[in-house]
Amino acid sequence: MSKSVGPVLRMSDDVDGIVAAIVDDNPGQEVTVVDRGAYTRVSGDGELRVTRESIERHLGRDFAMRQLEGLMSSFAGRIEMTSEEVRWRLKRGNPVSSGPATSGRAEEPT
Amino acid sequence: MAREKWYDIARDLDWELSYVDYEAVFPEWMSGQGKVPREAWAEWDEPYKVTYPEYVATQREKETGAYSVKAVLQKSRLFDQLDEGWKSVAKEHFGAVALVEDLAVYAELRMARFGLSPAWRNMAIFGALDETRHTQISLYFPHGLLGKDPQYDWAHKAYQTNQWGIIAARAIFDGMMMNPNVVDVAIQLPFTFETGFTNVQFIALAADALESGDINFANMISSIQTDEARHSQQGGPTLEILVEHDPRRAQWIIDKTFWVSARLFSILTGPGMDYYTPLPMRKQSYKEFMQEWVAGQFLDQLRDYGLKKPWYWDEFMAGLDTWHHALHLGVWYWRPTVWWNPQGGVSPAERDWLHDKYPQWEEQFGPIWDVIIGNINDNRMDLTLPETLPWLCNLCHLPIGTAGSPHNEKFPVRSYPLTYNSHTYHFCSRPCRQIWWEDRDTLYDPTVIERLLGGEIQPPTVEGILTWMGLTPDVMGDDAYDYRWAKPYARTRRPQDRPGRPHGAPTPGMQPEQTAPPPGDSRPVPVNALFEHDFVTQLVVVLDTDTVEEAARKVAAQAVGRRIFPRDAGLVVRHAGTVVPGGITVAESGISALDIVTVGWAEQRREGS
Repeated sequence: MSKSVGPVLRMSDDVDGIVAAIVDDNPGQEVTVVDRGAYTRVSGDGELRVTRESIERHLGRDFAMRQLEGLMSSFAGRIEMTSEEVRWRLKRGNPVSSGPATSGRAEEPT
Repeated sequence: MAREKWYDIARDLDWELSYVDYEAVFPEWMSGQGKVPREAWAEWDEPYKVTYPEYVATQREKETGAYSVKAVLQKSRLFDQLDEGWKSVAKEHFGAVALVEDLAVYAELRMARFGLSPAWRNMAIFGALDETRHTQISLYFPHGLLGKDPQYDWAHKAYQTNQWGIIAARAIFDGMMMNPNVVDVAIQLPFTFETGFTNVQFIALAADALESGDINFANMISSIQTDEARHSQQGGPTLEILVEHDPRRAQWIIDKTFWVSARLFSILTGPGMDYYTPLPMRKQSYKEFMQEWVAGQFLDQLRDYGLKKPWYWDEFMAGLDTWHHALHLGVWYWRPTVWWNPQGGVSPAERDWLHDKYPQWEEQFGPIWDVIIGNINDNRMDLTLPETLPWLCNLCHLPIGTAGSPHNEKFPVRSYPLTYNSHTYHFCSRPCRQIWWEDRDTLYDPTVIERLLGGEIQPPTVEGILTWMGLTPDVMGDDAYDYRWAKPYARTRRPQDRPGRPHGAPTPGMQPEQTAPPPGDSRPVPVNALFEHDFVTQLVVVLDTDTVEEAARKVAAQAVGRRIFPRDAGLVVRHAGTVVPGGITVAESGISALDIVTVGWAEQRREGS
């Protein structure tokens, strides 16, 4: 089962810096980067994080975490966002849903 | 002070009601609490946190970015150099999407009012502001192009019309945003639609847009999607609570929304990616983009919330190989009914690409395109244009047959009927029929076919239908490349070179009385007709006094020579599982209104003649 998580960044001069910050903040993690021009998909297995401090170091300027929103057009996994860092992760739950896939109000039509 | 130190207190600001009952403020039919205990909603916690000052600052930066790019490019000749096929992608997008963004404002506002926790209502306010921005930008950008091309007018006009694709979109989006309670809205719109599907239209398509040189469009749609990435996070916390207390309801809402969204995207996004975008500019195929964004990313998400794959998953995945090809063929054949110019997209090189990406394409759709190409090169354009309508699905409103394909044993071109309260409904697939059955009290939007047969469209001719749909001659779709993609075949592949087609012979059954008043005491019998190996079923009006043979020829007239190679062979009619003798009348045969009738070739009498 794939557990790819991470941001999808839209075209911007800052993409390379953000990717470098993600690589720095996830030592030992294999970070995959797929560049499709208008967007760049950054993926890790199960969990990725990035900190404001690393982004500032790579961009060479002040960066408020809220500014990541303007660069991130999507992400895989669940997000947690604070002023200092962003995490993307999956909880890896097991299916709890049971029974036939219907609203439960009626049998299948004939 | 860091946001984390005060955010939760501010966000959770709420009050206990004393002058009115809780149920009066959050009525079940609007709030949709269902089996979830009231106190459970206190756990609602948005994962993507933003404060109002942050929101305003970030949105200002986004708007400045999008509009300044537009301002600069407006002074260039970039737009004039865009490919006509690509422009159609943008035209279809604007007409189909701009006012859905407006509808989403109301969906967000409903959650902002009836959402069951203050945190949720707070986030929905941002969502409503986001969707207002999306409406404005999606109307403003095409407005600037009106002077160049009147088809851009449909960015604003489309939703005010009865154009068939818009009826389909309205039915789906009303069912997703306006009709349900807000718990269902949160699972349908932010979780399933915005997390699952809009990424394909707003991010994946941006990749093709940028390659095609439409920087403005790529910039606009990917800017919009940064808002979606945030406000779509209303879905997760709602789903988490619902899964805990009522997993069956959660699964059902996702399953039905996913299916209708997949059907809609196969016409909204599929043809643009695999036919309209110029070949060298295509980043990936529609199927590959769907596998990346929907089958991969969204399915992971679903599992993570403890839910299962929808019950029809294999059918959905198989549909990535066929649905949008069938819908592209339908849009192209019925091109006067759309507000953009579909690019045929089956030149020899494009066909090789299709074959490479979809190994069954040639077998399933190639023969139909060969007939069309032959007619284009013979200058028989009349045979490349419709004289009737495809029969439409009572749930997704898309043509019946387009949830399958010709030469496809597992998912053939056929109708899935259901008789309920003495009325026969027709569906494109078992899942559409199942969803309609479950939600039959809330989902009922008559199809164009039902409106036509009910007398709502006058006169009931192709011209009358186009007028009723709001299509004027200056915007009616035509081939984006003026048919030049078909020219290379003029020297090589000619349908009329095949055996059995007498050169210049009239197409069997071509009779102008399809919509004329019936003679004498005859009564019209509208049937849902399929000619074998065609890709859709169609409305064909026969007379109860016609012989079955005559009725068969009327069905053949709408397919043979148009999309099916003519053959020197008789016709066989099947109805209700049996072959009907050709000599009896329609009335005697038991064929009645809304019935399914299949016509095919009898055993070929003279091979090769």
